[in-house]
Amino acid sequence: MTAGSTPLWRYAAGRLAQAVPLLLGVVVVNFLLISLAPGDPVATLLGEYPAPPEYVAQLRREFGLDQPAPVRLALYAWNVARGELGFSFAYRLPVAALVVGRLGNTFLLMVTALTLAALVGVGLGVTAARRRGSGLDTAATGISLAGYSIPDFWLSQLLVLLFAVFLGWLPAQGIRSVREQYTGMAAVLDVARHLILPAAALSFRYMALISRLTRASMLEAMSQDFILAARARGLPERLVLLQHGLRNAALPVVTVIGYNFAFVLAGSALVETVFGWPGVGRLLYDAILQRDTPVLLGVLLMVSATVVVVNLLTDLLYAALDPRVRY
Amino acid sequence: MSTRIVAVLLVTLLATGIAAATPAEPQRGGSAVVAIGGDPETLNLGITTGYAVGAVAASIFSGLVWIDARGEIQPGLATSWTTSPDGLIYAFELRRGVKWHDGRAFSAQDVKFTMEQVTGLYHGRFRPAYLNFESITVTSPQSLKITLKRPYAPLLRLLTVFDCPILPRHVYQGEDITRHSRNNDPVGTGPFKFREWVRGDRLVLERNDAYWDPVYLDRLIFRIIPGAALRVTALEVGEVDMVADFYLPKTDVDRLKRNPNVRLRLGQPIPSMGFMFINARRAPLDNPKVRRALALAINRVQIVTQAMGNLARPARGPFGDGFKWAHSPESDYNRLYPYNVERANALLDEAGLPRGAGGERPVRLRMVYDAARAPIAASAAIIRDNLRAVGITVDLQPMDRAVMIERIYTRPDYELTVQTFTSGGDPAIGYHRIYASAAPGVPFVNATGYSNPEVDALLNRAAEVPERAARGKIYAQVSKILAADLPTLMLFDEIGVDAARATLRGVWIGAEARDRWDAVWVQK
Repeated sequence: MTAGSTPLWRYAAGRLAQAVPLLLGVVVVNFLLISLAPGDPVATLLGEYPAPPEYVAQLRREFGLDQPAPVRLALYAWNVARGELGFSFAYRLPVAALVVGRLGNTFLLMVTALTLAALVGVGLGVTAARRRGSGLDTAATGISLAGYSIPDFWLSQLLVLLFAVFLGWLPAQGIRSVREQYTGMAAVLDVARHLILPAAALSFRYMALISRLTRASMLEAMSQDFILAARARGLPERLVLLQHGLRNAALPVVTVIGYNFAFVLAGSALVETVFGWPGVGRLLYDAILQRDTPVLLGVLLMVSATVVVVNLLTDLLYAALDPRVRY
Repeated sequence: MSTRIVAVLLVTLLATGIAAATPAEPQRGGSAVVAIGGDPETLNLGITTGYAVGAVAASIFSGLVWIDARGEIQPGLATSWTTSPDGLIYAFELRRGVKWHDGRAFSAQDVKFTMEQVTGLYHGRFRPAYLNFESITVTSPQSLKITLKRPYAPLLRLLTVFDCPILPRHVYQGEDITRHSRNNDPVGTGPFKFREWVRGDRLVLERNDAYWDPVYLDRLIFRIIPGAALRVTALEVGEVDMVADFYLPKTDVDRLKRNPNVRLRLGQPIPSMGFMFINARRAPLDNPKVRRALALAINRVQIVTQAMGNLARPARGPFGDGFKWAHSPESDYNRLYPYNVERANALLDEAGLPRGAGGERPVRLRMVYDAARAPIAASAAIIRDNLRAVGITVDLQPMDRAVMIERIYTRPDYELTVQTFTSGGDPAIGYHRIYASAAPGVPFVNATGYSNPEVDALLNRAAEVPERAARGKIYAQVSKILAADLPTLMLFDEIGVDAARATLRGVWIGAEARDRWDAVWVQK
């Protein structure tokens, strides 16, 4: 397949081109919203004592806050077009470096959480569908209900209490130990230990969602004629279930994972704050409190771009899973 | 008291005395982990009063002096000093043989440079002191002389690392100080050197072997834990070794008291207070009678017990009782404004605000406060309930800190607010700003619109007179006016609480938990 001329390539390029005005819209709307919100970044930065007025004025100039909002917006848009995301007020560092550094940690958390949610959710859903009406089905429904209802920041704190405080099995805070200086494999395992609780907390809600959806899709798929045909051909039940049932039931599940990516990212802000996980969600949360506009816009822009790409990948995966779908 | 109780007390005292006295030999090595709530905005302590910056950078830089746990001034980079009888000339002898972390020699030129080019221009607490400076003369590489235009009583207290950290001239001279790259990777003379900063996660410092006193810890690590309750959890499970007062949620103190692995220091040598600004620009709060009625109607004891968990004392006067010498019995709130609903009602009737048919008076006040601070929110709720009892309606308006600052100080658009200020070790450093005339727009100063030339003059004099007895008399005078005018109602003197793992020894030598980490060691 030569990538240059396939319709799929053209479809993907078209979708990406559509993303440009979307991202521009994200920048403009967010910039305006932030400009309208009360709160002065300089005042929140300089401690609890009155800062010298000359210094405050100097900082306002440096941050460009002495310019009217339309001028600042135009300047910002021009910089973004040149690939410049600006300078953080609160960290006094380039935004791009700050965000990219944090994005990796967040992806680690999100991918782990979503994988966990998918594996457990699909497993639960398939089992529940297979044994419809059994105790196991009821239990799976109960777990899903809990997953929907429990706010993840509260669940996070419960997990900390149980596994870090009472049992002492897992660390309560951060992404790696600070006292010990691990290297190599020990460092990887150290991060993995720190990852378990926040990933579990973040995944719970999506696990519930995926298990419900898998159960429903499976029940529908399993009642189709092709399943009857497969069984009639004498295929073993495991194959019927996984190759014919699950493959057809998987479509809505893939959609849910793909399109919930943005929500997982949003949910990670709270989970990251509870676990002291140095991710982009927490960066966003801190930036809101500190009115750190460049960081806020930079994070929103990068997150929007990521969501666009993930949604595109979801669509492409859809095509791979369902031969009827063609772009 | 029965003899049995006395005996038990004696035994307890002896036991704690022995426990504190026995394993006194400090051990070298290991690390300590300190919880902080967020990343510092810089590590240049000379350009900010931000708490997190001081928490980390106080171990990287040094001041000419430091304040010990009793509140006394002790020699730091300055080994001795003299003051002229008129209080105008301060002469300092500096410590010899001190090296910057990059190996260059420290000298008096660094001190002059720091005061003239950095802290004198940018530091919120040092700048007001520097405005009194006539000149700084370097008399030798190891001595210098500061000449003042007028005496400034709290000057020595403003030479600590938190107020005037000495910065390296050879790094900063001729460069943009507030945006210098070394602000994130600083060179100091302090007991620890900068090593690593992973934003959002941790900051690591390592021992400076060239420091003039022994430094025991190999590494001093600051762990960023944004959730207040989680900081306490991390302390309980041993992931961190210290949570200082600023970052410790007071609701958890009772639980920590019962934890044998945790030690607490209650009460701090540097007083700080909680108070209610009353916006006197707005009727009917422009009437002192109404303000006095509020003082009588608000139950300060209830605020202390319920909102502050008894980690405070009900305020006794316009400057609290943290500085005994500045407290005037004549203006004692307990005498002037004991909790008395009847008298409050009578005053409000007198002020022409009679109760309507429903028992409510024609007064509706907005109470604006920082939603993130639980004790402040609880205090605000108690005040609302207290004032409802005298027929005044209060609307609670919690908001995030950035918006609160704008509503209280920049605009100002509020009627009541609860705030806390630290004294900085002297009423002239931290408390005068509560009452002195101030133009609107500046955060963390008088936001009430109250402006009284007599009060301003007295406060200025109180800052100039060096002797405490004489200053006390001036504070008595100004307290009398302030207690009568009541532009601000003081609510409580805070009792700070620092918490540390019991294995951490040598802590709290300084007035602040952030200070003197060179003396800290880990019991293995």
